[in-house]
Amino acid sequence: MSALTYLSLTRLKNAVRDLFQKPARLIYVVALFLLLVLSVQGARSGQIPEEVFRDPRELVAIATALFLFIFLFTVWNGFSKGGTIFSLSDVNLIFPSPIRRTRALFYGLFRQIIVTLLLGLFIFYQYGWLYGVYGITVSTMVMIFLFYVIAVFLGQVTAMTIYTFTSSRLGVQRVLKGIILAGLAFLLVWLGWGAWTSPADRLAGLVEAANGLPVHLFPVGGWLGWSFSAFLGLGPWWPGLALCLALFLVILFLLTHFDQDWYEDVLRTAELAQSAIAAKKEGTMEAVPGKVRVGAMGLKGGWGASAFYYKHKIENRRGGILLLPPVCLIFAVVLIAFSFFTRSGGILPVFFLSVYLQLFSAGQSRINRELYKPFVYLVPEPPFAKLLQCLRELLPSVLTEAIVVFVPVGLILGLGPVEIVVCVFARVSYALLFQSGNLLLERFWSGASKALVFFLYFLILILLTLPGVLIALALMVGLGLPGGPAAGLLTAGIVNIPVALGLLYLLRNMLQYAEYTR
Amino acid sequence: MLNLNHVTKYYGKNLANDDISFQVDAGQIAILLGPNGAGKSTIIKCIAGLLRFQGEITIGGFGNKTTDAKRLLAYIPETPAVYDMLTVAEHLEFIRRAYRLEDDGYGEALLERFELADKRDKLGRDLSKGMQQKLSICCGMVHRPKLIIFDEPMVGLDPHAIKELKKLFREQKDQGAALLISTHMIDSVEDYWDVTHIMVKGRFAATQYNRPEELRQRSLEDLFFAVTEGGQTV
Repeated sequence: MSALTYLSLTRLKNAVRDLFQKPARLIYVVALFLLLVLSVQGARSGQIPEEVFRDPRELVAIATALFLFIFLFTVWNGFSKGGTIFSLSDVNLIFPSPIRRTRALFYGLFRQIIVTLLLGLFIFYQYGWLYGVYGITVSTMVMIFLFYVIAVFLGQVTAMTIYTFTSSRLGVQRVLKGIILAGLAFLLVWLGWGAWTSPADRLAGLVEAANGLPVHLFPVGGWLGWSFSAFLGLGPWWPGLALCLALFLVILFLLTHFDQDWYEDVLRTAELAQSAIAAKKEGTMEAVPGKVRVGAMGLKGGWGASAFYYKHKIENRRGGILLLPPVCLIFAVVLIAFSFFTRSGGILPVFFLSVYLQLFSAGQSRINRELYKPFVYLVPEPPFAKLLQCLRELLPSVLTEAIVVFVPVGLILGLGPVEIVVCVFARVSYALLFQSGNLLLERFWSGASKALVFFLYFLILILLTLPGVLIALALMVGLGLPGGPAAGLLTAGIVNIPVALGLLYLLRNMLQYAEYTR
Repeated sequence: MLNLNHVTKYYGKNLANDDISFQVDAGQIAILLGPNGAGKSTIIKCIAGLLRFQGEITIGGFGNKTTDAKRLLAYIPETPAVYDMLTVAEHLEFIRRAYRLEDDGYGEALLERFELADKRDKLGRDLSKGMQQKLSICCGMVHRPKLIIFDEPMVGLDPHAIKELKKLFREQKDQGAALLISTHMIDSVEDYWDVTHIMVKGRFAATQYNRPEELRQRSLEDLFFAVTEGGQTV
């Protein structure tokens, strides 16, 4: 058995063995799998008449946008950081060994495919709404998953290749970046033109343009969208996949026949990735290298516990987080787009999706990182004051995020100002609720295994939402509360606030009695 | 200044510190010496109020988790704790504000002393590990603590910083501060200590005072190896 085969098989075997040796991780994997089956099976159990499904070309447009975003995002990152198909241990152990460079490359590519496959599984959780809106089959869902994997994989190898050939040639990098930006600008103009020239139904015009040849010819994302359309009976399957295969062969040819010494570039990339992993483990997320504009110096305020708030303001400014983290902006775009497609269903589907997405962005505040440094424990101020000051930075961003999402969504859905204000209020209440749930997790399970923490995170946050949801349902269904969905959201929001504040009050001494785990 | 009474610490079912009692008086330097995994960092984190424990720890007569105790305490961890997005000068400003102190120029003097003055506008993330450690020491000292706890303070420091730090130990002792220093390197302790506790498997296996008559009989190094390798308890 060759060394690389042995390495691959042993790592796989140890990963499986590790899973069975850590019950929490096993439970988490089983629970994730069950949730996946439930989301697929649950969606299919409700029969929906075929005529209520929306235009499948909309789905092609959404899928193409996803593939394009994933591919371009990965490639763009590759300009500065390169691709990361090798770990630092690969670099330190395999690269200096007498294993041929091409074999090492194939080993890296193989590993990358496995990792990408695993990461892409989350797409199946979207089956519920995709079935409800477009009536897609499980096999179509599998195709979205596979095409997503191809987009990520080709993005990674393209990034690695571009970085390898251009890392020392900034002029070439600039030209390539310019080409990508020009291509994107052309796409946006094309899509805008499609919407502009269909004044009767701009959405239909946009979808028509997104299914046009100029989009389908856009590298990788467009090609995959083109092939995907075949599974909805809208086009041929082979041209897009053939183009992807051709790109992969060209990349392989470039890396193997030009004897490009890509080890040096991969070393730097692997070191950056390793420092990012270490930083994540230590809770110091900013340690991921990148340029930081220092700007104005000094805290400009704060005395006692409030010094933390002013420190957080500086850190957010330098971290590039003005009011909204990038992930929240992406979620906002997703929610606004989602409201377009589900506008006949009213506010509830969008609101539920917004709360669901909040589960993933709720852990973004600085209090979670602060807990991994000793200062917040050592500063001689009352622990509850420190806790509140650490949470203070959240309020403007949460409020802005809610406004950024629900003003356009309200306009799309034709909601009145009062209903929009209710949505903003309810959304802010969920942010507060989730943040208190986050702290509960940190207080009691900060030293637990990552898998258990991840599992508990969702469980706790879902449990915390129950009082609001149940009381709103009881009032609306049981007592016939007037006012429609907005009244329900208002009720849930009003219940969420005392639940969150009560939990924070119970956790008030967490800085006094927590275990510092670093 | 520092009193520990029957402090025991478990991590889950693992016993990390077993019934530890000792004290460090004002103007005294106490050393915690022991091999890796002896429980030195754990007891130090317990004193700093970062871990839960059984028993009692007081600083200046106050329970170690009270704000009165925290005002007296400085803790300089083994892994330098600095903020990536704050400059060197802003770290000191943050500590001053958090401890409600007016700027009397002491922070700047510390930066000068540890050769960080020319790095005052550099971000924490852009400092080398040694410089981060120096900044961590400056942050700990800026509020003029009465009890200073160092966890492996020499690791990663350059010779100049080590020299300055040893000078600082002596100065703080002369000014009446109590110092507790944890280390696994016997060489780094030199002669400035008053009492050394040798820890093995979470317990105090030996205690030696810096008295010439005791050291003539057996050096600290001989005692350390007798305790850690010979299983002797003193």
